[in-house]
Formats: sequence, C-alpha cells, structure tokens
Amino acid sequence: MKVSLFVTCLIDIFQTDVGLDTVELLERLGCEVDFPEMQTCCGQPAYNSGYVDKAKESMKHMINVFEHSEYVVTPSGSCGTMFREYPHVFKGDPVWEPRAQKLADKTYELTQFIVDVLGVEDVGAKLNGKATYHTSCHMTRLLGVKEAPMKLLNKVDGLEMKPLPHNYNCCGFGGTFSVKMSEISEQMVDEKVQSVEDSGAEILVGADCGCLMNIGGRIDRKGKPIKVMHIASVLNSR
Amino acid sequence: MAMKIGEKPFKERVSDGIGDLFMRGAVSSAQGRFRSGRLNAAEELGNWEDWRKLGEEIRTHTIENLDYYLELLSENVTKRGGHVFFAETAEEANEYITNVVKKNNGKKVVKSKSMVTEEINMNEALENAGCEVIESDLGEWILQVDDHDPPSHIVTPALHKNKEQIRDVFRDKLGYDKTEKPEELALFAREKLREEFLQADIGITGCNFAIAESGTISLVTNEGNARMVTTIPKTQITVMGMERIVPTWEEMEVLVSLLTRAAVGQKLTSYITALTGPKQVGEVDGPEEFHLVIVDNGRSKILGTAFQSILHCIRCAACINVCPVYRHVGGHSYGSIYPGPVGAVLTPLLGGYDEYKELPYASTLCAACTEACPVKIPLHEHLLRHRQGIVEKEGKAPVFENISMKAFSMGTASPSMYNIGSRLAPKALGAFVKDDKISDGPGPLKNWTEIRDFPAPKKDRFRDLYKKRKKERGE
Amino acid sequence: MMAAGQVYNRNSFLDNLAKNLGRERRHQVERPEWDHNPQWGVLKGATQDELVEVLKKQCLLIHTDVHETVSSELPALITHLIKEYGGKSVVTWDDPRFEEFGLSGLPKELNEEEIAVRVWDQEGGEENLAFSATADIGITFSDATLAESGTVVLFSDKGKGRAVSLLPVIYFAIIPKSTIVPRMTQVAKHIHNKVENGELVPSCVNFISGPSNSADIEMNLIVGVHGPVRATYIIVDDK
Ligand code: SF4
Repeated sequence: MKVSLFVTCLIDIFQTDVGLDTVELLERLGCEVDFPEMQTCCGQPAYNSGYVDKAKESMKHMINVFEHSEYVVTPSGSCGTMFREYPHVFKGDPVWEPRAQKLADKTYELTQFIVDVLGVEDVGAKLNGKATYHTSCHMTRLLGVKEAPMKLLNKVDGLEMKPLPHNYNCCGFGGTFSVKMSEISEQMVDEKVQSVEDSGAEILVGADCGCLMNIGGRIDRKGKPIKVMHIASVLNSR
Repeated sequence: MAMKIGEKPFKERVSDGIGDLFMRGAVSSAQGRFRSGRLNAAEELGNWEDWRKLGEEIRTHTIENLDYYLELLSENVTKRGGHVFFAETAEEANEYITNVVKKNNGKKVVKSKSMVTEEINMNEALENAGCEVIESDLGEWILQVDDHDPPSHIVTPALHKNKEQIRDVFRDKLGYDKTEKPEELALFAREKLREEFLQADIGITGCNFAIAESGTISLVTNEGNARMVTTIPKTQITVMGMERIVPTWEEMEVLVSLLTRAAVGQKLTSYITALTGPKQVGEVDGPEEFHLVIVDNGRSKILGTAFQSILHCIRCAACINVCPVYRHVGGHSYGSIYPGPVGAVLTPLLGGYDEYKELPYASTLCAACTEACPVKIPLHEHLLRHRQGIVEKEGKAPVFENISMKAFSMGTASPSMYNIGSRLAPKALGAFVKDDKISDGPGPLKNWTEIRDFPAPKKDRFRDLYKKRKKERGE
Repeated sequence: MMAAGQVYNRNSFLDNLAKNLGRERRHQVERPEWDHNPQWGVLKGATQDELVEVLKKQCLLIHTDVHETVSSELPALITHLIKEYGGKSVVTWDDPRFEEFGLSGLPKELNEEEIAVRVWDQEGGEENLAFSATADIGITFSDATLAESGTVVLFSDKGKGRAVSLLPVIYFAIIPKSTIVPRMTQVAKHIHNKVENGELVPSCVNFISGPSNSADIEMNLIVGVHGPVRATYIIVDDK
C-alpha cells in the first residue's frame, strides 16, 4: 500500500524522531512510504487565529502537494483534523471545494490508519513500563478517533496501561491560546500534569505533538519523573 | 445590572478569577456533578444523538420562521385576553413594564429567574420608578441580598459562593442567626420570601419556551418560585427573548426534555408550568392581567448571519458546565451575564467587539462545548468565526500578530520560504538553547517559556534525515 | 369569553426580522415532519403495570413517597396518611373524582378528628389562598401521570386551584392508575390535539415531579424551598 506521510511542521523541526518512527512503523506494516518534500504546514495556526485568507494559501499549497497521493497519513490528530476540515473551509468554491474533499477523504491519522485501513491491532511492539494515554480534543471530538490508540497500546508487549483521570479535559494547548492566554493555559496544563501523576504512570503517551509539547514542557519545567512519548515511538519500540 | 458586569479589563478579571481558589473549587466540583448528571441522563435515554438532532431540527425551523411564529404567538395570547408588547430595545421594554406596574399601582414586584430581565436592566428601571423588586430564585435572591453581586452562571447564578459566605451575607444583611447548613439557609429564605409573595402585587417571570399554537408560556423550575410568582400576584408580566419560542406543545415537550437533562441531568425538573393568558372566569388564583413582553435588544442583527444558530440556544448551560476555561476563570471573568462558551459567542454579538473582543480567544477550541450542546450549536466554530471577524473585518487584532501571520502564510504557502525559515530556526533560537531545551525564550515564546520548557529545534530537520536515510538505503 | 388583549409594535418588529432573514414576511408556515422522533420510542409498548413500576422507581430518585391501593381502601389510606404526617389542616380540590372515589365523606370525618378541611371554593375568593398558605397538606387528583419522570400533570380549572399543590407543606397526589402514560410526549400530543380542535387549553398546566427543591447552595440538593417540602403519590387501581 502506498502511503504519503504528512509529517507536520512540529515534527519536522522539533520532534524528528517521531517522524522517523512513523516511517519505520508504516514500512514494517508493509506500506510503501513517500514523503512529498514540498509539504509545509496545514494552516491551522493561522486558521485558528482567524486569519482564514492567509490560512487558505497554505491549504491550497497542501492540496497541490498531496494531489496524487493514494493515502495521506499523519502522526497528528489535530493536523489530520485540519485536512478533514478543508472542504468546510472552501465550501462553495467550485474549484477548491472538490479538491479539498478529495484530500480530506484520503487523509488518516496514524493510529486510525493502522486500525481502520490496515486492519492491524498488534504491531508487534515491545516496551516496558506503566503508561497512560492523553486523548487529544481534536482527535477525539472532531476527527472522532477514540478507540484506535487504545487498541494499539493495549497490545504493546510489556506496557501496562493506566487510566488517565479526567481524560476528557483539554491540556490547555490550543495553539496560540497557549501564549495568548498563557495564564489560563498554565492552570489547564497543571491540572493535566496532576492527572497524569494521579494515574501512576511513568510514561505519558499522546498522538498529537502540540499537546505533548505543552504537557511535556510543563512536566520538564516541574522536574517530574514522567517520560513523554509520541504514540508512533511507542509503537515502533521493539 | 445590564449584560455587562464589572469594570476591570479582561486580563485583570481573569487574574482575579484564577486567584479565587474557593470559587474554582466550587466550580470544579459543580462541573463534576453536572457532568455525571448529564451523561447519566443521556445514557438512560439511549439515543441521545437522535434527541439532539431533533432538537436541532426544531430550533432551526423555528428560528428560520421566527416572524411567523411570533405573530401566531401574539395572536393567541390576545385571544386569551393577554397583552403583547414587542420591544426592539431594552428601553422600550422597560418603559412598557414600568407603565404596567404604575397603572396597577404596583409597589412590590416579585420575580422568578430570568436572564433577559438582567440583560435589559429591568430591576433598576423599576426601582427608579419607586418599586421594590424581589428576586425569588434562591440563587438570585442570595446575590440580590449581597448588594447585587453579579451572577456567574446562567442556571445556578450563585455558584461562586460557598455556604459560609451565604450565611455571612444573611447574617450581615438580614440578621440571620443560624448555621451554614444549606437546609437551614433555605428554610430561612423560604420564610422570608413567603411573606413577600403573599404581599406582592406584580409577578414578573422569564420564559423558557413560548408555545405559538396556543399562546402559552412555559417555565422550567425546581424551587416552585415561578409558580408562586404566577399564582399569587394580580398582575403577571412575562419577559422573553424573542427567540424563546416553539411551534406547538409537542416541540415544547422535546426541548424541555433536552433542557432538563442537559442542564442538571434531571428527567424533568420539579415544576414545568405552562401558562395561557390570565386566569379564566371562575378561577380563584392566578393573575387577572397578563402581559407578554417580547424583546429583541440586538438579537435580530444575528438573524441571517453565519451566527444565526446561536439563537437556537435553550440556555441549559451544558457548554458552561464542560468548559475548562470557565472552570479556571469563573463566570465573572467573562464580563457579561452570559459566561462560558455560549457567552463568548453571544456577548460579542450583543455587546460588540470593542468591549468583548478577547472573549472568542478565551478558548482552546477543544470543542467540549459543541459536543455537550443539546441542540448541536457548533460553538467552537462560532468562536473561530468571531476571530475571523475580528481579524479580517474589524482589523482589531494586535499588530504583532498581524505581521507574524503574514510571515506564516508566506512561510507555509511557499515551500522555499518554509525551507529557509525552518532551516534558520535552530540558528535563530540557538542562543536560547540550554540542555537541548529553551527555558527563557524571546518574543512571543516568552509567554510559553514562562510556564513550560520549549524544545530546541533540531539541527537536522526530519526532511533532511529522511533524505539521508533514503540515500543510505540506496533509494 | 374574556375581552381580547392588545398588541403593540408588532408589524415594525416582525418586518425587521423578515428583512434580516432576507425575505418577505411569512404568514403561512407548515410545521414539518421531523426526521428524528426518539420521544415516541421511550417505554413504547409498556403495559400499565410496567408503567407503574417505572413510576415507582423514579419516585425513589425524586424523594417522593408512593403508596398503592385499590379504590375501596382509598378513603381509609388517605385518612391514615394525613394523621401519620400529623396534618392539622387540609385543602383539597373541588373535583368530581373525590366523589367517584368515595372521598366525599372525608371532610366531615376529618373534622370530627379536629382536622380542618377546606374544599376549594370558587365563591370563596382569597380565603382559599389564605387557608392554603397555612395548610399542612394539599390534596389533588392527577389529570395525567408520566411514568418516566414521576410526574403528575394538573389542569387548572374553577374548582382546581393552583395553590393546592403549591402552598401547603405537604402535597398528596391521587393517581388513578389509568392516568399513567409513558412520558410527557403523550400529554403534549393530547393538548396539541385539543388546540387543533379549537378547544381551550387550561390557563395553567402544571407538570409536578416530587417536592420543590434547589441546588443553589454549593450544588447540594435541598428538598423543599418555596413549594411543598414533601410529596406523596397515592396510586389507586381504578379498573
Ligand atoms: S449554547 Fe447549547 S449548551 Fe450552551 S447554553 Fe445554549 S443550548 Fe446549552
């Protein structure tokens, strides 16, 4: 199966390992992975700040970049959600709406792709430790991916999954919200870090780099002994 | 009290809210109870999604035909001997209400809970006309006794107060001498207010749903105060926001079922009271005179815009009860009697961006509100739409953001610009990196690093590593 | 029939709404068939006995006592309950069902036990209210009863004052078993049909589910705020 990786800008610049883990994982599952080099950003930062016209420029660019892909897979629930939103953004545009729809229809978040398209739940990963999983808001509420990550994590050899109290709470990232409303964001991320501690986990797993950067950054700042891992890296552990 | 509450700027209100640990504890535990109540009630029904879709259908149809249904409603009210006043502004509404009260020689007015009368500042207008106005909803009454402390929630307005504070208010203002036990506090209120009810000559209510087909207004309560207000005084005035209407009893029933479940997790509240006109000939209790005041006060500007669905709101507060931002900052931070997600959407529409442009940004767009709303209002999309309006139509966004967003679109719409920008990131930020992380960042990053560490950009980007890997594998 | 009321400012107000909605005023609108109708599925096909069980279970949740009896035992049960609750004054509706259920002798019987009873009296005016305001117990029949929510529905009328179920400290509702329906849907439909047939809707329809309560103080449930502090339902087999 041919898969185009949409790696997202956060992973491209800051979390390069997650990108490599994603490639290795997909290849191991029998996919042929390519990385369209012209890709940039899904446009979400501008879109969510209200700069819709500016966001549309990046969106059009991304539609072009992935025009000929068979599947587009991204290790980020939020960016995947953004791709799925494109038709909505271009609603009524005779040229761009259908093209956006085509991209939306073939875009999958990584775990969603593995479980729903590849039909795999046990990826043969092995990792020792107690972990808990942060359900990101966009991925669960907007993209509707709720079960897939847990199905995959439950099959990881050696990994003991702990429930995360109040898992439905937002971590307080919200893109520019984290800097614009930093005082409120701080309260929210503290609450999340507290929940992670209460879960008794040593590893916090997530499927969204934004959330993980936020929670992880706070965990580091507070010097908590909790390791933060992207789900791609967990699933690529052997 | 008009819609606006407090004079401080947004940032200060938020800091005050965050600093109020008692309030936050109270809100947080209330949210927990609201949440489980709502989820249990939804689960018991089994097909909550179908209910929500029905609610959405009903509200969409009704608001699209609002002029028709309001006409029908007013016809039917008058057929039963009631009077109807259409008020385009708060002033018009207050003037009419004051005149009715004066004509009936009203001295003492008892009120049941109503957000729209808060919005139009009706109490003050009546007080200026020499009337005594008494709130009879327990929460509202507590706030009134406490020198008009503003409400912080649309269903439980005194949510921010604990029982000790309430005891102190009663003691200082009314000579209460018992404990802070909620039962004793409530009994005290019952006795005090019972006297007021029996003496009142005017009763004023809000309206949950007016029923067009029969000219009926319905009130959804637990305490029984709305029944008091509509049983004892000789004159009843009901004030409704113009959108609080349904076609027939059948839709009223559905929306009440959604409202009570979404608001408090009850199958029905203790009292749903449906009133049609004044009392009938031969009936002993109930008002002799009935007036319905239908208020626009800025709502009609929302019709026909992309925000129209906010008029579908049934004021259940489910969105407020799930909102993490509300949990941490409390209701007063919103600077409006309409707090939380519904407030962040509605308040700027009614009060303008000049005063309320921060509210749409006080959200992570986590969509918990949208998921909770029983009539499927896409609240987080409306917040985004506001941001878009503020940026593109009104130009009210900060200059810095404007420039950086320009840079963003240049950098992301063009791969070569993205390439240059992302390659430069490690150099640009290099000076701030320590131990592979940034703890004290420049510019807008500062707000981030005051709270959390920021990862250092990697020397080689993923795309560089990917290329290398490809080469190594001889591809 | 009473005189029609007045309407003020209607046309300019509604014209403005139509204008903002981008069209002419609409004077005829058909209420559509809704695509979803989950309300009719609730307790669908339940027998009358099953509905009684649902009602009883719900009453536990809403702090309401339930008694079941047959009509021949009803007068004795009511007298017993009044005494058990220590009622010294009782107000009831003036409703033919009191007689149908053999309760017309109640006032006299109770008076002999020094319990004051007042039957709502349309000639009595304010005295009804004054009596109710200090009465211990108010008693009405239920005009319709909703199993799902534990609700009695009361239609106001000349002999059926609003205050009887509101002002006394304790409220008794007598529920003929035949009045029980699954939920509010059936009653709403019934009233809607009346409206369609041009019949008058009662000036006050109350849907009462248990005693009055409030959660306004720290979200603690307080039972009994402005209305009755206790509610008791008496289900009577009328078949
Ligand atoms: S917006 Fe929706 S959830 Fe919020 S108060 Fe209104 S109806 Fe309830």
